[in-house]
Amino acid sequence: MDILEVRNLCKRYPAFELKNVSFSLEEGKITGFIGRNGAGKTTTLKSIFNFVHPDGGEIRFFGKSFSENELDIKQKVGFLSGGVDYYPKKMLKTITSITKSFYREWDEKAYEEYMKMWDLDEEKTPSQLSAGMRVKYALALALSHRAKLLILDEPTSGLDPVSRDELLDVLMELCGRGVTVLFSTHITSDLDKCADNILYIKGGRILAESDIRSFVSGYQVLEFHDALPAGALGQKLIGCRRSKNGYTALIRAEDARRMNAGAAGGDADLETIMIHIEKEGEK
Amino acid sequence: MKPLMKKELLLSMHPTAPLFLLLSSMLLIPNYPYYIVFFYTGLAVFFTCLSGRENHDVFYTLMLPVAKKDIVKARYAFVILLEAAQMIAAVPFAVIRQHMPLPGNQVGMDANIALFGFAFAMLGLFNSVFFSIYYRDVNEVGKAFVWSSTAVFLFITAAEACAHIVPFVRDRLDTADPRYLSEKLAVLGIGFVIGAALTWLAFRKSVRSFERLDL
Repeated sequence: MDILEVRNLCKRYPAFELKNVSFSLEEGKITGFIGRNGAGKTTTLKSIFNFVHPDGGEIRFFGKSFSENELDIKQKVGFLSGGVDYYPKKMLKTITSITKSFYREWDEKAYEEYMKMWDLDEEKTPSQLSAGMRVKYALALALSHRAKLLILDEPTSGLDPVSRDELLDVLMELCGRGVTVLFSTHITSDLDKCADNILYIKGGRILAESDIRSFVSGYQVLEFHDALPAGALGQKLIGCRRSKNGYTALIRAEDARRMNAGAAGGDADLETIMIHIEKEGEK
Repeated sequence: MKPLMKKELLLSMHPTAPLFLLLSSMLLIPNYPYYIVFFYTGLAVFFTCLSGRENHDVFYTLMLPVAKKDIVKARYAFVILLEAAQMIAAVPFAVIRQHMPLPGNQVGMDANIALFGFAFAMLGLFNSVFFSIYYRDVNEVGKAFVWSSTAVFLFITAAEACAHIVPFVRDRLDTADPRYLSEKLAVLGIGFVIGAALTWLAFRKSVRSFERLDL
């Protein structure tokens, strides 16, 4: 059973459209949801929770329709939009005491452990916490009501590299305990470190849904010192762009093999792939 | 509903809301447009919704396992609680004002039973205009307040003018209690029914608007 299944999600705005967005999440895996700013990541996540009303499509959590089982599903899901950015002047203990009263399976012992583990002081307010600590507090709340699925919208934006690394460690540890994570970001290096699967959205359309290794190994990056090649090879290049030493371009690994272009190339990472694909889209 | 009400009182309520209840004591001012005293509750509702917008109250609440209809219901319950508290807090001051060795209010309506009837209708009007706009777009708190306070001030102007120029209001309703008690009790009852009906209709409209709202 898929933890989350989204089928043909559509939402039309005057200047933007989500077009038949479909994907599913496997249990106990981290799925990175990437795309440049404005690609539709947040709109997709908000549509999943009906914060914006989709024009069409079907959302199923744990095999159940969201529209018919919204309250039960929300008991088992944690949605974090960044860190805790609500009630910045209220003490954490006040926010916690209210939040926990909504959840049937609130685990006070687990909550105390997370607060201790992450050095969170209940007497502080969110405005007194660093960005990383606010994300950790949001995670502590979600995990204490035994969320089986965490949906995180840009949780690492604004965090320093050390805090980001700490957060990724936490997410990997949670996956080890069977929690499923959907993690939207445009900081692709975070996903290189922790994601199992990748979901790539571009212009409101899902461009790729794959495990991260096959996705990354499906491309190579080529460097050209003088000029870009013409002919058959030139036609296969994706998102040619200037670099310090000349030009770089992406090529599908199978095209590179067929055209013996591998000698000029190297392995691509997520960021390189995304930059070149987005560059190609600008043409 | 209980956790949502707890959330309304401990997280959402603006700190000035309970303090405004103390302004019921303004009924002791010898000459004053006493309707203003009840308008402070509207100000408290505005501050609560405004700070809710700044504190991402709606987004926090939507992430909780609660129905959208219950979110609206809890906000209305909170507002009704606040308005009821204001009414109750005002009663002893109205009684004291009646016993002060001074003539009646020269500005407009005396602090008497009929005033409370008109005040119920006025708060119903405020709720109706404010929440009809607010739940169409929870970010437009200012617009909701401008229109609702305009409606309330027109109401106050008309009601106070009536206390001077309409003979029935001037001679029977704008008098010390317990004179013309039956007329005043009728105004109290009718005002309460109008206020409750306007609030109920606004609630139903708000639920529909909030269900449709994209956040």
